[in-house]
Amino acid sequence: MLKSLPLCLSAAAIALGACSQSGSNNTAPAQSSEAKDAAGDKTIGASLDQNGKFFQAAKAVGLDATLAGAGPYTVLVPSDQAFSAAEGDAIKDSANPQNRAEITRILTYHILPGVILADDIGTAIDNGKGKAVLATMGGETLTATKDGGKILLTSGDGAKATVTQADEKHSNGVVHHIDAVLVPPKPGDGAGSAQQGK
Amino acid sequence: MTRFLLAAGVAALAITAPAASAPHGGGHDQHKRAKTQGDKGGHSARAQQKGGHSGNQHAQRAQASGRGGGAQHTQRAQQHGGGKQVKQASRGHEQKSRQAQARPKHERTQHVRQAQARPQNGHAVRTADAHRGNNDVRIAVKDRKHDRRDVQRELVRRNEAFGRNNSPVLTLQDVRHGDRDVERVRVAERNLRWNRDWDRDWDNRDFRRVAAYGCPPGLARKPVACMPPGQARELLGRPLSVVRERVVFRELPNRLRYVYADTPDYYYRYGNGYMYRVNRESQLVSALMPLFGLGYTAGQPFPAAYSNYYLPAAYQPFYPTTPYSNYRYANGYVYQVDPYTGLISDVDPLLGYGYGYGQMMPMSYSVYNVPYQYRPLYYDTSDYYYRYAPGAIYQVDPTTSLITAVAALLSPGLTVGQPLPMGYSAYNVPYGYRTSYYDTPDSWYRYANGNIYRVDPTTQLVTALVAAALT
Repeated sequence: MLKSLPLCLSAAAIALGACSQSGSNNTAPAQSSEAKDAAGDKTIGASLDQNGKFFQAAKAVGLDATLAGAGPYTVLVPSDQAFSAAEGDAIKDSANPQNRAEITRILTYHILPGVILADDIGTAIDNGKGKAVLATMGGETLTATKDGGKILLTSGDGAKATVTQADEKHSNGVVHHIDAVLVPPKPGDGAGSAQQGK
Repeated sequence: MTRFLLAAGVAALAITAPAASAPHGGGHDQHKRAKTQGDKGGHSARAQQKGGHSGNQHAQRAQASGRGGGAQHTQRAQQHGGGKQVKQASRGHEQKSRQAQARPKHERTQHVRQAQARPQNGHAVRTADAHRGNNDVRIAVKDRKHDRRDVQRELVRRNEAFGRNNSPVLTLQDVRHGDRDVERVRVAERNLRWNRDWDRDWDNRDFRRVAAYGCPPGLARKPVACMPPGQARELLGRPLSVVRERVVFRELPNRLRYVYADTPDYYYRYGNGYMYRVNRESQLVSALMPLFGLGYTAGQPFPAAYSNYYLPAAYQPFYPTTPYSNYRYANGYVYQVDPYTGLISDVDPLLGYGYGYGQMMPMSYSVYNVPYQYRPLYYDTSDYYYRYAPGAIYQVDPTTSLITAVAALLSPGLTVGQPLPMGYSAYNVPYGYRTSYYDTPDSWYRYANGNIYRVDPTTQLVTALVAAALT
């Protein structure tokens, strides 16, 4: 009995240790207040230009509340010039209720889950032998590559956008400014989006 | 040898000529007697026939039979009572005339149309005009001179050709101004041919399978198993009656009825993977909605090729598999499938696929269903309800049931044990957790839908849920 007692105790200790390592929904979050403070109090929605075309389009489809919500998100914000230069009736007339579905698909193609800083994308590109695939909230993916010192994003239809200003930190995520509007592939163009559902 | 052949030909002609010129079809007075009038130069036709309006029919057939060349031969048909001597100038024409009579109706109609198309080609217009008097029916040629009977006859002929396939039917006014309407007639005839070709192609396909699956078989293996977009775009601006001939319309899935609700100005029809918006006033298809999902709708079999398109883990708690329903996901839509019959029961769109802001929340979403990690943030109040549907948590007006905002976006998410999906190669943990959960050679950490997961870099498997980042 005495011989087996230490054995049992050590087994219990290992089991407890394993539980704490694996974590669960009840695990106490180990948040760093310093990092949170550095991000500031303003949400992404509050920090964007309220008259800018990206925010106006988001407002037209009810995504302004998303950008002011809990997040966290990584948002790729095209410039107003990029919106003006973009092709497609939906982008040019984002306030039209008939274009809501298309605008929603385009905007959710610019919102990524979690906080992805420019360095994180760069590291993923290096690990991925020159490219990194990024999931979007719309269910599609973007491909990131490096072009000189800048990050180049390519949409499913081959359109490219360069990150012009990175790592604008906010309380519910991060904003990267880009110089073109990225349009997701049309539904049914391929089975890619469906494959993600597996 | 040549002489021999020539002599044999002459002999054969001598033997057969009387037989050819003899009356046929006993009991009818409609025997054709043709006599050439070589001295008239070949640009007028004249038919004389005794015995009423049947001569007019012969004249038309004779016109139809003379389709071979551009410059038409002059013919004069005379029919005299009492067995007058008849000269037949061309036995070949007689045969052609008889062949024309034996042809199917639609073929004859084509010949008539060809004959009518001559004016467009610059040939002389030949219009048969029957005059009755002195037991003679005389068919004369008038060049661009239409009297009222001619116009009416042309009207009947053209409408016989145009009236099919819902092509526009000409009016008297149209024919009266036939010269000005040449282009219109040409377009109408082209459309008629196009319709006929399309119908033939359609008939060549396996219509039963089309009816069963809603899509042509040749496209059934493609991701979206329906009409190619180019063909579908051609239907824009066309009357619904025409579109109905080419598209098998089906009942709209229940969930999509909220998305594509009829209005006083428009109503919607679904078929072959497209939603057609029809203008109530003009009955024209004014817009073509995007393809949804796989192009299949309720009542159709869910294709076996897509049976492994399982629901993303994040959606599974909200679409639990039961003995009565399975769920599949494809191209932004959740399909409810009857496990026994394999038929699609309903189709649920995700945000951005026809669903979202401004739409009505379906009645089936009356129960609060926000995922647990988001409940402290989004709970029902007297001002707003919050409901989860695939892809998002929606803010809903409780009085109108309209979606007033997208409160949060949700990705398909991760579950422990699954391979890391494509697109999560970049580190994305929120600020406050970066000091605790950072990538090492042994462990990666990834954020999804309010949770932080640990990933094995070697196997690329999600090995644990390590923190709830929203609480």
